[in-house]
Amino acid sequence: MSRLSSNRWLRLLGALAVAAILGFLLLPAIVAALAAFNGRAILSFPPETWSLRWFAKALAYEDFRAGFRNGLIVTAWASVLALVVGAAFAFVLDRYDFRFKRTLETVLLSPLVIAHFTVGLGFLILAAQLGVARGFAVVIACHVVLVLPFVVRSVYVSLRNLDRRFELAAASLGAPPARVLATITLPLLLPGLVSGWLFAAILSFNEFTASLFVTVQRTQTLPVAMYNYVREYADPSMAAISVIYIVATAALLTFATLFLGLGKVLDVEQAR
Amino acid sequence: MSKPANPGPADPAVAVRLDGITKRFGEVVALHDVSLDVRRGELMTLLGPSGCGKTTLLNLVAGFLAPDAGEIAIAGAHVTDLPTYRREIGMTFQNYALFPHMSVASNVGYGLRARRLDKTKIAKRVAAALDLVKLTGLEDRRPRQLSGGQQQRVALARALVVRPQVLLLDEPFSALDRNLRGAMQVELREIQRKLDVTTIFVTHDQSEALSLSDRIAVMADGRIRQLGRPDDVYRRPADRFVASFVGDVNVLRARLERRDGTTAIVALGNARVKVPGGPLDGAAAGASVDLFVRPEDLRIANNNGVTVAHGIVAAQVYQSGHVDLHVESSEFASTRILLRIPGQAAMTRWPIGTRVGLALATEEAVAFIP
Amino acid sequence: MNRPFLRVFVSPAILCAAALLAALAAVLQYSLRAYVPGALEPGGFTLANFAALAKPLYARVFLDTVWICFITALVSLIIGYPLAYALVRTRNAALKAVILVIAVTPLFLGEVVRTYSWIVVLGNNGFVNAMLLKLGLIAQPLQLMFTHFGVVTALVHVTLPVMVIMLAAALAHVDRDCERAAASLGAGPIRTFLTVTLPLSMPGIVAGVTTAFAWTFSAFATPQLIGGGQVNMVSNLVYQLGFASFNFPFAASLSVAGLALTFAVLALLRAVARPLERIGPH
Repeated sequence: MSRLSSNRWLRLLGALAVAAILGFLLLPAIVAALAAFNGRAILSFPPETWSLRWFAKALAYEDFRAGFRNGLIVTAWASVLALVVGAAFAFVLDRYDFRFKRTLETVLLSPLVIAHFTVGLGFLILAAQLGVARGFAVVIACHVVLVLPFVVRSVYVSLRNLDRRFELAAASLGAPPARVLATITLPLLLPGLVSGWLFAAILSFNEFTASLFVTVQRTQTLPVAMYNYVREYADPSMAAISVIYIVATAALLTFATLFLGLGKVLDVEQAR
Repeated sequence: MSKPANPGPADPAVAVRLDGITKRFGEVVALHDVSLDVRRGELMTLLGPSGCGKTTLLNLVAGFLAPDAGEIAIAGAHVTDLPTYRREIGMTFQNYALFPHMSVASNVGYGLRARRLDKTKIAKRVAAALDLVKLTGLEDRRPRQLSGGQQQRVALARALVVRPQVLLLDEPFSALDRNLRGAMQVELREIQRKLDVTTIFVTHDQSEALSLSDRIAVMADGRIRQLGRPDDVYRRPADRFVASFVGDVNVLRARLERRDGTTAIVALGNARVKVPGGPLDGAAAGASVDLFVRPEDLRIANNNGVTVAHGIVAAQVYQSGHVDLHVESSEFASTRILLRIPGQAAMTRWPIGTRVGLALATEEAVAFIP
Repeated sequence: MNRPFLRVFVSPAILCAAALLAALAAVLQYSLRAYVPGALEPGGFTLANFAALAKPLYARVFLDTVWICFITALVSLIIGYPLAYALVRTRNAALKAVILVIAVTPLFLGEVVRTYSWIVVLGNNGFVNAMLLKLGLIAQPLQLMFTHFGVVTALVHVTLPVMVIMLAAALAHVDRDCERAAASLGAGPIRTFLTVTLPLSMPGIVAGVTTAFAWTFSAFATPQLIGGGQVNMVSNLVYQLGFASFNFPFAASLSVAGLALTFAVLALLRAVARPLERIGPH
């Protein structure tokens, strides 16, 4: 019995540790929210007066509005391109062996470990050397490369979890490869594809360091605009926009968890 | 923890006592008030279809689950509230659960290290255990470098080396192919006898249960339906479920002729069969009953015997050593009747389409009220 | 062998890989060019940029960066493990979803929002100081901004999600029967964890630490805004040189050195981890 109660202590200790860690993860979001609803321009905790004025100010700020529009353009293109390229690559990665497969995989997944400032600097110099103006195309190309590993990973995991026998059954019933792909593989992969696209979209929309290098005033995305704002102003408009960000992202991820089985896509479900 | 008021399981002949065990999973009752004594040194099999509660029962003995009601005792000590690691058990798992990151010797020595034995002692006992399962020389291999049968032996050695009060085997042969399975079964039985270790064995394979066990507990729907020696369970099944789950059986429509105390006489056509009277309690003479006849207890009638039914051979299945004949007959059964004829002559003697007469090759069977 | 779609599916990937390699090659090429003050076009080929890296000023920043990356990876491993364990092992589906969303959300917030939030937490009139002052635990605000402590705290917040995902993926594949087997052999919970669960999750630990290290190295806004010039990482130097002095060749050589350093450290981590990983399953 004494051992059993020592297990209980262990369990309690673990629960407390987990709660503390979750608190650490949530703390900045909670504090930012407190700051955002603060009535005064100077931070104070707890806020003395409450107000929505910083939300109004943030939403009206022209740089944020432009950054949001630019961000949507970049994200729309980059996420869709990354999805197509990444899903196709994950497919061949899962199914085939070919020359330079490992090399290609290493190169495409390398942005996971290569510093974003290096990639950003690279695209900046490359554009200059090729004489290409620093327009959206450069930003989009840079983002595609950066978010590609996430798409590849989530689609690849889904492909691994896919029961190949469904495809074999379809083929045995006379479906040619393209039909199998369209009627069996793609529908079964849908959760992985949607999550992969969602990852790509969120990451692209929020990408900062590389964007700082490859954007100019005209193509400036929202994180770059926010960075410039933080450097110049100290009022809680930034807190307000952070709160909008956090809420929107958490909502998207909750959706992904509940409806796309995010746990499965991330491969964190207990096997047995 | 205050000890329960009822007297402890002091009987030294009892190794494991389960007393009034109930276990629920949410709404589902997995075990209903199950009581069972496993005698010291015996091999007790828990047999039943999937979902019958046999694995739950094993997990309760192991301490992976806690019962909602009831007491568990191992070697006379109450263990209901004791965590697994203090229960002095040994267990093998369906997929062996060998530690993939340890050598064979480390796997086998794990329980001894957990008991903080000194190194030389551990080495000696590990060597002896590996010798017992004939794996000497493979000490430094990793589990993934072993065949299925070898992994099975490591798992057995690992569980036995701690000299457990009870050995728990969860479907130990299900991952082995058929040929290996037979050999391992014999070997397990020999080792179990040699060490005289109390063993609880879980399986859904009735032939495995019949060939290995000292006693079998047949389970269904969270209850023990019959507890007995293999031939008891096979020859004198307690109810319809046991009769049809353990071995093949034909259910024939018959008539109760009379009852003499504990036995009864049942008429099948013009044949008479003696059956236990218990299951027919409440049935009057002349009542219709279901007679359960094993396929080997039927034969093709010759001219001077009593023919109980006629039919047409619909299928033959060659089974190396005997032949199964499936006979279409509407007289006493709604499905085909199965006959098991020793040897292989039946293949040519009664080809498909032959009209045959059926006779009883035994005077004993069991019958139940429909 | 019949390989439908191979060519069509692999071509766009090759194009992307080519773009990335070209960008990296451009950095490498610039790193070997001379800096011409006042001109955007670099001069002829030279090794002067790399020679300049040896100056104590830059060498210090490199050392500091590696140290920060190492501490950040270690701390996020230590606090990420319990979280990953809880995420994988909790049987309560709602709790599991809550942990997953809270653990993963910071990954997608982007560096700027997270860094800003930490400024609000750590600043002189930020949350932590306000609370401590209110409780009377301190008389003067603590200096949390512009310190290694502040930078590492915010960086751990950045790397924790990816660490948790990688650890959880490894833990999810630990065979529960192995833990049950350990318990049946007499091992208590702590012994079972140390001898079975932990070694079997080793691939996740290696992957998590490696990725956390690389990601920390990549961080820019956090050291820039929370370090405020007092704590400098390689990323900050690169940006300064590029956009304040327009010395792109030197910025490029810093990037190349950083890349080489990242790969060296990752190779080292892998080499150290190989015997550890052999402990784990394969």
